[in-house]
Amino acid sequence: MGMQKELQAAIKAILPEVDCVIGWGSGPDPLHGAPLFMRSEDDANRFASGFFAVNNPALFLPEYKGKKVAVVVKGCDARSVGQLLSEGLIKREEVSLIGFPCQGVVDHDKVAAALGEKGEMGEVTAVLEEGDALVLTLRGETVRLNKADVTAEKCMRCQYPNAHIADTFVGEKREPVATADDFADLAVFEAMSLEERQAFWEKEMSRCIRCYACRNACPLCVCRDHCVATSRDPSWLTQADSVKDKLFFQVIHATHLAGRCTGCGECQRACPVGIPVLLLKRSLARSVEKLFAYRAGIDEGTPPLLTFTLEEPTIKERSW
Amino acid sequence: MSVLEGKELRIVGFLCNWCSYGGADTAGVGRFSQPTDLRIVRVPCSGRINPLFIMKALLSGADGVLVSGCHPRDCHYAEGNYYARRRLEVLKGLLPTLGIDPRRFEYTWVSASEGQRWQHVVDTFTQQVHTLGPAKRLPDAPELAALAARLEPLRN
Amino acid sequence: MATLRYLPLAQVPQWLDGLAKSYTVFAPAREGSAVVYRPRAEGSMPELTARPTESAKHVVFPRAHELFSFTYKADPAVVGKRDLTLTQPQDPTPTVVFGALSCDARGFFAFDPVYDGCGTKGLAKDVYYLKRRQNTALVVLACRTALATCFCNWTGGSPASREGADVLATLVNDGLVMEALTPKGEELVSGLAEAGAEQGAAAEASHTAAEATMAPVPGAPLDPKAIADAVLARFDDATFWQAESAGCLACGACTYLCPTCYCFNITDESNGISGVRLRSWDTCMASLFTLEASGHNPRTAKANRLKNRVGHKFSYYPSLHGGRFSCCGCGRCIKSCPSSVDIRRIVQNALAAANVKE
Repeated sequence: MGMQKELQAAIKAILPEVDCVIGWGSGPDPLHGAPLFMRSEDDANRFASGFFAVNNPALFLPEYKGKKVAVVVKGCDARSVGQLLSEGLIKREEVSLIGFPCQGVVDHDKVAAALGEKGEMGEVTAVLEEGDALVLTLRGETVRLNKADVTAEKCMRCQYPNAHIADTFVGEKREPVATADDFADLAVFEAMSLEERQAFWEKEMSRCIRCYACRNACPLCVCRDHCVATSRDPSWLTQADSVKDKLFFQVIHATHLAGRCTGCGECQRACPVGIPVLLLKRSLARSVEKLFAYRAGIDEGTPPLLTFTLEEPTIKERSW
Repeated sequence: MSVLEGKELRIVGFLCNWCSYGGADTAGVGRFSQPTDLRIVRVPCSGRINPLFIMKALLSGADGVLVSGCHPRDCHYAEGNYYARRRLEVLKGLLPTLGIDPRRFEYTWVSASEGQRWQHVVDTFTQQVHTLGPAKRLPDAPELAALAARLEPLRN
Repeated sequence: MATLRYLPLAQVPQWLDGLAKSYTVFAPAREGSAVVYRPRAEGSMPELTARPTESAKHVVFPRAHELFSFTYKADPAVVGKRDLTLTQPQDPTPTVVFGALSCDARGFFAFDPVYDGCGTKGLAKDVYYLKRRQNTALVVLACRTALATCFCNWTGGSPASREGADVLATLVNDGLVMEALTPKGEELVSGLAEAGAEQGAAAEASHTAAEATMAPVPGAPLDPKAIADAVLARFDDATFWQAESAGCLACGACTYLCPTCYCFNITDESNGISGVRLRSWDTCMASLFTLEASGHNPRTAKANRLKNRVGHKFSYYPSLHGGRFSCCGCGRCIKSCPSSVDIRRIVQNALAAANVKE
């Protein structure tokens, strides 16, 4: 827990200079963290980093415009901050970043699947981290899980575990898990035929409850209350409980993030019914990387879809 | 807007007012015969085309969507088609992930004087869509599907 | 007590197939990482281990409900004259929800007074809701354990509560002990074999064991009036609600998964000359919920919206409907909240703030 103490010290050091420090605290059960907004030393003592600090605190930054805030960031969170900065959605001088070498975070769906018949996540009364293992207590028994088996997918391909922009960096930078993104997740999906993919979305989207948690959890969906999906004029979507409308909403979300999405995966994590909505954004990220050699949140400059060049050597236009 | 059963497919065209729309006119004036599957929506510039227009058409049952604007360096508004080129190319890359054949969507550049070229574009694209056949349509919400069924007699 | 009946697990699909001859049967099904109530596929075994992610309310109160459909037809004799035809949808078919949770069953108690004219003579009754409600039988599956997010005991419930259920089913060893609680329920289970005394005792033991896993209500006995007053007392305390809502995303997951949230929107979805009038779910967590025609919006901040959600459940609703919370303590809003906003903590903080002030 050395890292935790060091981060708490860094938070306490910056507290007097800022309106608040955004980080993580404990959630309603031992497997869940929650965003924490720290304004006092007492608050800072409740700070909890580590495997369960999943939320992306960059989400809240646009709300604090005009105030100086500090934010504790994982590598992926820093990418979101980077993108917000490059689009001028937040001001650099209003944000202070505290980075640390992230060791990866949990994927709750994987925990639930690993527990299977042994019980539900909500029955877990205690969690201990022992090296590479998680030791859970539920129904009076202990269950050992390999951390690697219940780590979020994005962490398994993480190239930027150390916040690439940070005003304070706590601890030693760690080696990235991967040196390039091979989009292996898309390859798995694309093993399906087009018909199967359409059927896949039909099935997955049919359980969408249209809560828009995916949108609201996205640090780059800055339109918030003024989303085109809920506008009456133009009226893009009906209120009908139809796959067509639900999938079209995902298209709205994804296309508006083309060249902007940093792949933090909060949309998918936030989905209460576990729809793999990140896939669409991954597909766009791959196109953007291939066409414009641009990685959102990392590369400086105007996002590729907000600019152009006279010649586009990577775009092969129709010969007819 | 009736679709000749089995003969015509539903193809939506978004055409720039300053070039391709005129090109289609030129083709008409020149009496270049074309397939009649295409339904044209005139827009002020290819840069005006929100990629959602295309997606809305495709998800609502269009079998193909064609976008046509001014040649690069020829935009009436100087740079609208440059933005369009990037957006449309990225959108085309998303279609297979949604399970939609990317050949159902194409974008081209046709100027107002290129009547013959327009004929060629419409011919080629219509043929391409016909090779793919009618697109599989996403199901409507049950209540809307029921309504459509009730309305069927009224349509005839 | 009614006769207990017993249904071996292996025969559950067959029994449900039988019911499907006279009812539309909804049952929990696993889809991805979620468990949702679906019209049951013939021959399938419902998910009985993991608790459903969503509540069963959409069976009675669909996400988008057709009130009627409309068609305009031009009169060829009079230019500009159009005839309007309205069509009523068909009446709902008799429906069974198999595997509802006890909190789901109790959740409908929050709907009932609102849609039944508040029990007051002269107030309009909502026939759309009432028809479905009367047409739906609930087979409640008793919970065997409590989750960390469960707090049904705060609202007068328990893991194996019989309130609102037509049948209480309890999983014992390799079968379900079924207890019919209403004539509707009796009709469902009457064909099943009687349960042995041992099986009945096992069910009873399961209920007691489940009860023991519930976390005790903090500061019990709970005083609903004190809670209602404490939440209302924070009405003008902007600082309080800003702090409580800091992590809230203002999405609608909590309200759409909630068994008691009953708010709706009405829209005409037309396509050319025809369309449907839909009643669809709405959520007070959305900005549009309170957007007025003038353009003014009294609840622009998420703090105001969260205040409404908590205030409505624990203060405004009880003050109108006999002191009953419009919360059944299922904990889905906590369990599925992407930011782990905990409604229990908000209520407790309001209570604590009230105690400090006094």
